Amino acid sequence: MSMMAVAEQTETEPVVEKKSPGKALWLLAPGVIWMSLFLVLPMLMMVYVSFWTQTTFTIEPTLTLKSWVTFFTSDTYLGALWTTVRIWLIVLVATVVVGYPAALFVGLFVKNKALQTVLLVLCVIPFWTSFLIRVLAWRPMLGKEGAINMILMNLGITDAPIEVLLFSELSVIIGMTQIYCVFMVGPIAFMLGRIDTSIIEAAQDLGAGFWRIFRTIILPLSMPGVVVGAIFVSVMVLGEFATSAALSGRKVNLLGNIIVTQVGSLKWAFAAVAGVVLTILMGAVVAALLRIVDLRKEL
Amino acid sequence: MSTVLQLKSITKAYGDMRALNGIDLALPGDAYISLLGPSGSGKTTLLRVIAGFEHPDAGAILFDGKRIDTVAPHQRGIGFVFQNFALFPHLSVAQNIAFGLENRDVDPVTDRRIVDARVRDIISLVGLSGLEGRAVTQISGGQRQRVALARTLVTEPRMVLLDEPLGALDANLRARMRAELRAIRERCGVTFLHVTGSEAEALGMGDTVLVLESGRIAQSADSDTVYNRPASPAVARFLNCYNLFAGRIEGGAFVGGVGRFALGASAPTRAASPAYAIRYDRVSVRPRDTAIAEDEIRIEANFVASEYSGAAVNSFFALDDGKVFEVESHLSHAAPETYAEQGRYALVWKREDALVYA
Repeated sequence: MSMMAVAEQTETEPVVEKKSPGKALWLLAPGVIWMSLFLVLPMLMMVYVSFWTQTTFTIEPTLTLKSWVTFFTSDTYLGALWTTVRIWLIVLVATVVVGYPAALFVGLFVKNKALQTVLLVLCVIPFWTSFLIRVLAWRPMLGKEGAINMILMNLGITDAPIEVLLFSELSVIIGMTQIYCVFMVGPIAFMLGRIDTSIIEAAQDLGAGFWRIFRTIILPLSMPGVVVGAIFVSVMVLGEFATSAALSGRKVNLLGNIIVTQVGSLKWAFAAVAGVVLTILMGAVVAALLRIVDLRKEL
Repeated sequence: MSTVLQLKSITKAYGDMRALNGIDLALPGDAYISLLGPSGSGKTTLLRVIAGFEHPDAGAILFDGKRIDTVAPHQRGIGFVFQNFALFPHLSVAQNIAFGLENRDVDPVTDRRIVDARVRDIISLVGLSGLEGRAVTQISGGQRQRVALARTLVTEPRMVLLDEPLGALDANLRARMRAELRAIRERCGVTFLHVTGSEAEALGMGDTVLVLESGRIAQSADSDTVYNRPASPAVARFLNCYNLFAGRIEGGAFVGGVGRFALGASAPTRAASPAYAIRYDRVSVRPRDTAIAEDEIRIEANFVASEYSGAAVNSFFALDDGKVFEVESHLSHAAPETYAEQGRYALVWKREDALVYA
């Protein structure tokens, strides 16, 4: 290369660098426009509407705190908030308890990558059917004359059908755990799969037994997976309404169910209040989960 | 010297591939042993079998006179330093080093002060002082190497297995760590079994050099013997400093592809197939018309290229049968000669310098 060419290159390089960030920002434009129009704007609207004045059949843009006061003084709404938090926590723990061992098996003990993928796909198979079918299929399973009760009674383990299995909080928890477990298994299995085998062998070589290694090495290194899985499960469970409606016989009311009923009876202001409360709750949960691990370090 | 580790006819196969094919081995205590082998010769498998990460198909492993083949890796008391160091990425330098002391099944150290003191001692031994609190992702390759070594040494194993420990370091650091590893070992008084694919590393570091070839120990001797008297043509080839000819012995001469080489007085070494080996630096390059002495062998070849490496020049010649012949000239003996491209030269060596296998 001649001296001229070298000089030219060094001169043009900084200019190119200066320009590129501005140009690259255009890549964000579609996303930003879409999200502003269909996420940020509606959310601001929801907050705004929650302060509108609601009468039985109409809603007026006169600002008032009435819907908020009603929400926080009513046993129904506070009860729904508490039920939502309770069911979310139980389902979260249940998905970890059911999902972690499965992820441990797939991510750590299955050495063959192809088999690993097959097993993870197996976890997703229930999602090939529609949500409604998945939820409603629990009825012939858990019902008074359902499969579980029939088996228990035929084996002579119980005399009468166990009624708490269906149309109860238990059935909602069973259904949700089954549906959302895969969102826990995936991220955990992914993180476990990334652990270098030689790290575990090194721990073994230094004299640690399996449980020690699990507690000191495997669990901490898989925590980002648990947190990502927990965020998936939390966001979905907190916003749930269909599973609880179908499996609890409308006995279990989550905030999501409240929103559906309020919108159904044109009580937009109440629905908006519940929506804002739910959004804040989700934001707080996600923020708290993100404090457990520094996800930036993992990416 | 007492034997610390003994292997008796160890075999290990993966499907049809025999990684270890009857390994017999006795390693002394308090020694630096290097295990040299080309890639695929089974050296990593051998280390993993000794450490317990792989089970041998047959044979026995005795450590301190006791059989350990059925003992779990975490109860063997043999240290292992991984090629990629395998540091715990979520723990600091000091936590990595303390791991074995605090978490081992057998006799864990629960007293925080004792752990701290021993970690401090080993950190100064390997020269890591001041880095205790650093994350292992924030230190250099050489420092990581030391953490890996310190983490193993702090548990006071009777023996440490090192799987290509210098492979991940750059050349400069590798040379420095060679001397350091030897010094650290001497201070600890344990046996190091150092696996490497580099002949220079193996010869330079080992009190004893083991050469592994197709799943067998081809030679076990001190560096000087391995270098000057490789036990088989395969070992000679792997040392990367011998020109090898295949052929047969006939009436006091070795008959190969480029001619008859008269044999010296010493008896040929026994080997599976006959071969003739002459070391790169035992050959001199002369003009074609120079006469040779009574005890010299002479062949002709065309000059191809030469490679300058500072202390020596390696010249490559094409023999008439198409094979490449290498000559190494040390520059401390004479100024480098320049050879004409494609020029024809005589390559001459003394009969007694050649190694003959039959």
